[in-house]
Amino acid sequence: MTSEQSDDDIFIDSTISKAHRFFPPSSPKPITTKRNHEASHDTISPLIRQIKSASLSIGENGENERTVHNRRRPSVLDEKALREADTETVREQRIDAISRSYQDILQSIGEDPSRQGLLKTAKRAAEALVFFTKGYEQSIRDVVSDAIFDEECENMVVVKEIDMYSLCEHHMVPFFGKVSVGYLPNKRVLGLSKIARIVEVFSRRLQVQERLTRQIAEAIAEAIEPRGVAVIIECLHMCMIMRGAQKVNSRTTTSAMLGEFREDPKTREEFLTLGRIKPF
Amino acid sequence: MSQSSDDIFIDSSTSNDYFTFSSSSPKSIISMKCGQELAHDALCSSLCPTKSASFSISENGDSDRNKHGIRKPSVLDEKALREDDTVLVRDQRIETISRSYQVILESIGEDPLRQGLLKTPKRAAEALVFFTKGYEQTIRDVVSDAVFDEECENMVVVKEIDIYSLCEHHMVPFFGKVSVGYLPNKRVLGLSKIARICEVFSRRLQVQERLTRQIAEAIAEAIQPRGVAVIVECLHMCMVMRGAQKVNSRTTTSAMLGVFREDPKSREEFLSLGRITPF
Repeated sequence: MTSEQSDDDIFIDSTISKAHRFFPPSSPKPITTKRNHEASHDTISPLIRQIKSASLSIGENGENERTVHNRRRPSVLDEKALREADTETVREQRIDAISRSYQDILQSIGEDPSRQGLLKTAKRAAEALVFFTKGYEQSIRDVVSDAIFDEECENMVVVKEIDMYSLCEHHMVPFFGKVSVGYLPNKRVLGLSKIARIVEVFSRRLQVQERLTRQIAEAIAEAIEPRGVAVIIECLHMCMIMRGAQKVNSRTTTSAMLGEFREDPKTREEFLTLGRIKPF
Repeated sequence: MSQSSDDIFIDSSTSNDYFTFSSSSPKSIISMKCGQELAHDALCSSLCPTKSASFSISENGDSDRNKHGIRKPSVLDEKALREDDTVLVRDQRIETISRSYQVILESIGEDPLRQGLLKTPKRAAEALVFFTKGYEQTIRDVVSDAVFDEECENMVVVKEIDIYSLCEHHMVPFFGKVSVGYLPNKRVLGLSKIARICEVFSRRLQVQERLTRQIAEAIAEAIQPRGVAVIVECLHMCMVMRGAQKVNSRTTTSAMLGVFREDPKSREEFLSLGRITPF
């Protein structure tokens, strides 16, 4: 078992899996929780292994060989939530630190922080930012909890046009839009509001739209091990509209297709029709 | 004599809105205004009731002062908080704001050393300075000499100008459209200047009500028309992304000066010509 843990260490430190560096490096220990799930992972349907390797085959050459040797990618469901261990006091301290920073920012932009409209702005802005990043406070396993049900459903389930609001991690400016999620159940279905909650937890963070899409797809794939998952996200990026290129009407669309949605074009087409995001 | 009265006026607790002036430089305001006094005294008399009217609701003391002929601080010549910035000062601002953002990144629990966040403090600081670039220009510079004599007597409407601003209470964006209309009095304003006026006032920490009023007053001062009307319709992210979380709700504010305030038919004409379609 210990050799497996050290192999996982190597896996996480691999330059290939940069995407997983959003684990705070200060707490690598949670890898131990994965051991508890190793058993259930070993019983995963072979399709999930295929899904997992397929979703990585394009960009990361070394990865395929590793998955062939049955290294598990870090579980999305059990990824440690950065602020999960926060007590009330810690939360207050965070808000204080952020308030002081905002106070400095108000002065630096040339404004007068003691005028009536700005008196409590530093505190309000800090609380707003903590709210916009509340996705760091929950792990997905808590969100999904036990809303997994056995059903004989074989047809596509689509939850479309879920409103989503996130913060661009490059400029800390909002981007927002809609998410459509579809999956082909394999004897197990997920509570519908849990799909929306998964979207919420991942989006209320500093995000990149591509990563957000992938995380939602992988979380659902892990939670209920369906025959396939598809996610499309269409967003307006304020960092592109309010500044920079200043293109007012341009929307960015990203998608993640796992399992049958990746393999079968007809299934993909069905999802793209059922889950189509209308202009907003 | 008028200078000391102006001091009193600026320090008056009823005119809180004018404390956007950086309090470190009240002198420049007064000396600039002295230069403008003559021009103001020659203001079309129909505009005087306009100014008191636009304040009649909330600031009682104001109307009394206007009757005594004391001018409100000119919107056109309001000092721009960052007007004197050299490139060096600007870089210092960005440095300071970057450091603040670095602290913020750590405080929200993130890892500022991960690849995606390495240059985020600098980018966020530059973005914020861009979002507040309205502090760098005075309206007089924006309007410059694009004031022309024309025989035009009919309404001019520039509608659905996109604006993007920052809510001064939460520092979260709000954005939407502005429609501006005015009835010229022998003088018209360059059309792009109207959009530039909207831009300069919106790229600041703002409150939608104040933004609307400022745009109306700037145009009123620049060309002294028979009337000015402004409607602003915005989505407030502070209301959509947090708090009440009402996704479809838009906020509309308006400012009606001169003929638009007095005559319902003119107002109606503007509201139909300048109607902001849902976005």
